[in-house]
Amino acid sequence: MLLFTRRPGRRLAWTAAAVASVAALSLSACSGSDTAGANGASGSAITVFNGATGTITENFNPFSPTALQPTLGVIFESLYWYNLASESEPTPMLATGHEWNEDGTELTITTREGVKWNDGEPFSAADVAFTFNLVNETPELNTTGLAATAEATDENTVVLSFTEQSFMQEPEILGNRGIVPEHIWKDVADPVTEVNSNPVGTGAFKVKSFSAQSYALEKNADYWEEGKPAIDEVRYISLETADAASAALTAGQVDWMSAFLPGLEQLLKDQEDLAYVNTPALTTSIYTCSNAELGCEGPQTDVAVRQAIYHAIDRTQLNKLAGGGFAGEGSPTLLLPERDAKWIVDPEHKVAPQTADTATANKILDDAGWTLGADGIRVKDGQKLALTIQTVTGWSDYISLNDAMRQQLKEVGIDLTPTQLSWNEWNANQTGGTFQLSLDSIGLYASPNPYYPYNQRYHSDNTTPVGESAISGNFARYSNPVVDAAVRAAGSTNDEAEQLAQYAIVQEQIVNDLPYIPIYINSTLTEFNTSRAEGWPTNDDKYAFAASWKAWDNGIILKTITPVTQ
Amino acid sequence: MALTTQDPTIAESESHLPAPSGRTRRRSLPPMTLKLGIGLSIAGAIALFGLIGPYLVGDPSRVDNVGLSAPGGGFLLGTTQTGQDVFAQLAHATRGSLTIGLVVGVLTLVLSTFFGVVGAYVGGVVDESFSLFSNVMLVIPGLPLVIVISSYVPDKSVWLIAFVLALTSWAGSARVLRGFTLSLRNRDYVLASRVSGERSWRILTVEVLPNLIPLLASQVVFAVIFAILGEAGLSFLGLGASGSFTWGTMLYYAQNGLALRLGAWWWFIPPGLMLALFGAALSLINFSIDEIINPKLRSQTRAVRRSWRMSRAQLQSAKESTL
Amino acid sequence: MRYVLQKLGFYVAALWAALTLNFLIPRWMPGDPVDIMISKLATRGPVTPSTRHAIELLLGTDSQQPLWQQYIAYLGQIFSGNLGTSVVYFPTPVAKVISQTLPWTIGLIGIATIISFLVGIGLGTLAGWKRGSWLDNVIPVTTMLQSVPYFWLALILLFAFGSVWQVFPLNGGYDVYTTSIGLSWPFISSVLYYGTLPALTIVISSIGGWMLGMRNMMVSTLSEDYILTAEAKGLKPGRIMRTYAARNAVLPSIAGFAISLGFVVAGSIVTEAVFSYPGIGSALLQAVNSNDYALMQGIFLVITLSVLGANLLVDLLYTIIDPRTRARA
Repeated sequence: MLLFTRRPGRRLAWTAAAVASVAALSLSACSGSDTAGANGASGSAITVFNGATGTITENFNPFSPTALQPTLGVIFESLYWYNLASESEPTPMLATGHEWNEDGTELTITTREGVKWNDGEPFSAADVAFTFNLVNETPELNTTGLAATAEATDENTVVLSFTEQSFMQEPEILGNRGIVPEHIWKDVADPVTEVNSNPVGTGAFKVKSFSAQSYALEKNADYWEEGKPAIDEVRYISLETADAASAALTAGQVDWMSAFLPGLEQLLKDQEDLAYVNTPALTTSIYTCSNAELGCEGPQTDVAVRQAIYHAIDRTQLNKLAGGGFAGEGSPTLLLPERDAKWIVDPEHKVAPQTADTATANKILDDAGWTLGADGIRVKDGQKLALTIQTVTGWSDYISLNDAMRQQLKEVGIDLTPTQLSWNEWNANQTGGTFQLSLDSIGLYASPNPYYPYNQRYHSDNTTPVGESAISGNFARYSNPVVDAAVRAAGSTNDEAEQLAQYAIVQEQIVNDLPYIPIYINSTLTEFNTSRAEGWPTNDDKYAFAASWKAWDNGIILKTITPVTQ
Repeated sequence: MALTTQDPTIAESESHLPAPSGRTRRRSLPPMTLKLGIGLSIAGAIALFGLIGPYLVGDPSRVDNVGLSAPGGGFLLGTTQTGQDVFAQLAHATRGSLTIGLVVGVLTLVLSTFFGVVGAYVGGVVDESFSLFSNVMLVIPGLPLVIVISSYVPDKSVWLIAFVLALTSWAGSARVLRGFTLSLRNRDYVLASRVSGERSWRILTVEVLPNLIPLLASQVVFAVIFAILGEAGLSFLGLGASGSFTWGTMLYYAQNGLALRLGAWWWFIPPGLMLALFGAALSLINFSIDEIINPKLRSQTRAVRRSWRMSRAQLQSAKESTL
Repeated sequence: MRYVLQKLGFYVAALWAALTLNFLIPRWMPGDPVDIMISKLATRGPVTPSTRHAIELLLGTDSQQPLWQQYIAYLGQIFSGNLGTSVVYFPTPVAKVISQTLPWTIGLIGIATIISFLVGIGLGTLAGWKRGSWLDNVIPVTTMLQSVPYFWLALILLFAFGSVWQVFPLNGGYDVYTTSIGLSWPFISSVLYYGTLPALTIVISSIGGWMLGMRNMMVSTLSEDYILTAEAKGLKPGRIMRTYAARNAVLPSIAGFAISLGFVVAGSIVTEAVFSYPGIGSALLQAVNSNDYALMQGIFLVITLSVLGANLLVDLLYTIIDPRTRARA
């Protein structure tokens, strides 16, 4: 075996390797980095964790559904900004005014003056017109169903012409579309697959560096708002689990992140520099497949069962065990009682009962013919009141909800069996209608106007019979002509008073039918490190929806915060 | 990683196994040593806990307003984030994990014996095709396959996970068994039986299989350890049977509930500890089985040397005097 | 020669089987990538009915073609090096995703496995040589460490050394604040520093197996006649241990080592999840969760090729280092 004759040499190689690795390790430990986010010397910098996991691929294309999160809001801006955290008028961004014509077929927008692209070129209405025309002409990019042509009538005015009445398109157009520069994008070969490596936008920051593990944005010196932004650099990182995120937070490495951390108060107990804000926005609800006529099967098709569930659950206990105490009170109108107070017509329907009302629940079930069986579960016409509720494995707070509700509903004779599925299967069941009960949430549209949830979840145009894919959103298979008419009427007008009258009709129906049974408003917890930057939204001043994953609001927050002066 | 301590190609060149028959078959059982005693008693205790425990403890899914609390106040091992009894969950989890281990052990035994032993004994085309099949199964990446298969089936039960784990892990054992069987096939006593007209299946069951029992046992124990650890890994990734209680799913929920970070050691430590103890016990049992397969190991332990009551110096001089 | 040809033939067959399985399995999974992407978008912001149509066009779903046509196209694409476009990371091509993550995985897990192998073999040799010494008691300890669930151990070590005593970093592959990717000393030292704790956990949890196997083989080998001859000839004990005993005893371990190298990618998923390491395992997990056929197939291909390659290497290596296999064939 001639291969191994060089014995002394082999030993030498061994020792050399050992020495080298030890030396390397000790040297690297010595040069071991200060893992804090701020580099005092080069200006103020913060680190953001926006929920990105795994490797990061470069995509700053504002039209792409897989664009990196800061693209919309931080690098590119929209015409207006809608605040979903508290009641307020849309804030003008790249537009300073807009006006509809009588029939809602023409929208005139006045754009802001004195705005520059971050490559120095001036911004004008021509860019806005170009953006909307590009979307209209490219079906792959037209995710909002825009059916309009745009024309820049002068330096600062754009007119959008629609084929039909389109009042309800307003938030999508004004608040959910990033404006791109015509002088760059007219030469782009394929706007669908364009990666847009050095994005030219009007936003407060521009891209400084990019790697597959992290990327950084730097201040845009030409930003149109005087004195903003105050922060010099924003860095984004990727973390795998909530545990890794909480470790980074408590070690002071992350300045801004949104994660539901169980026991948050305890984690932050001794940490002076850490603060959090809670902006509940999504109503956690039990989706029911409620319409027997469209093929739903099971006891939940009986409205009495749904009402009984609504009354029997103990929302206080659910909030404590599953919501961490942070959840807000839900409303049977599926709106947010605080932010949407003006849209909730009947004060009786403002908030759902917070404690279990087993007496009412029992009465409703008794009156409907569900008699208590020997094993404690109700029966009617030979059918047991047994329901399955599906959840996604990994959504531990929803799983806790199921465990608690199972006990609570047993008190009124309902047998609830939770099942855990993969996300794919759960989603397929919901869109196809092959479920009885499902835990999901409702909310977060382009603007707080109730038209969007009511249209998406309750209008029969957006549903299909069980077995077909109801991808438009009415998974409960709800079909009520009164509601349909009211929603359509509300969508055809721009007058808020008229809309309110129609919503009153809708709410009267849905609080009775309850195809979606609200539980509570799921907290959106966002954690901040206040030692490097201040001016974050607080529980008293929710000037923006603070979640680090939210598009558009991220730009508002990043340009509002200021560095902490030592 | 489950590594065989005997490579079949080497084993073929050194045939040290005696042929048991009749009275001497008793030597197949491992002699009781301290290691074996400890291993059996720990494994036995855990198995007993898993078998009887669930009948004695309360409802593991019952939520309680007390939330996350340390041991005490009626809860032996404290409670989880939703006030569920950790000790009760541990009992049910033991049963779940042991079920997985058992199913995988049995399936691995059946599959690897069939494809390894029978194939090698029969020889010819059957052997070639069985060997090809198990080699192909071996090179197909196991963990990704498990991930994909288990995400395909909607309602993941403990049985499904066990089945999928067995499916992706029998090939290694089959290869080892095949190697041994090939060497056994050419032994004198087997050839003699053939010549004397014994039927194939009788030779297989009476002459060949008993020799393989120690190796089979070792492989099955490895498979059980691998299954339980594999299930824990899958559950950690969120791909396990999260609707049922196993040690892996308990750890998954503890991890999601930030148990370690919140200082809730009573939730995070016990399942992992049980896993480690059970695995350790099985490893100790495997050591003892190894000593059957390779009798030289038996005589080398410190315990045996101590029983000779000779010091190291005496041993050294004894050794030198024999050279 | 016939032996080598036989082996190659087997590997070609195994490769074809693996490729076919890699093609079929993602397509057996329930769910449509378009629906999945839409539902994922819905959690972040408003989604309208026309979104589905737009996404469908974007992703260019190929479910219209019959399966066998897709299969032929797939095989053709593989052999021309085109692994398709990822859905999760649209519009990045799969090859790019793999190329930016694979080096990290191979670097970390590969090096950790090598270290574990070398140290384990070394200790196993000593344990087998000095039969009945204190090293024999180390073996049950290391084997017990092997039965500890890896992620449990890793989480505890990360908590202890990352949060409680801040000795090692909490996450990442290198220090993104002070260095960037390049062949510079700060970068390399940063990579080593960040990789130390993950590598340590891998070594601790896998060293037991190598040690045990080597020690058992050493004990078997030491009773061979040629060892006795060497002792009788008066050769130094150290030399006997290394060049006579260990060299023969290490053979099955080499086989095991090559095979375990092939499973480096598959085994990295848990490590990367615990340490937020930017490798290919987490990309696989993302792909599985989003029905990203192209990315899944691409990663499976990488895993399959590495496993097959490692096995082929072992088989060929064996014919070189162990003449007995040649003689038998």
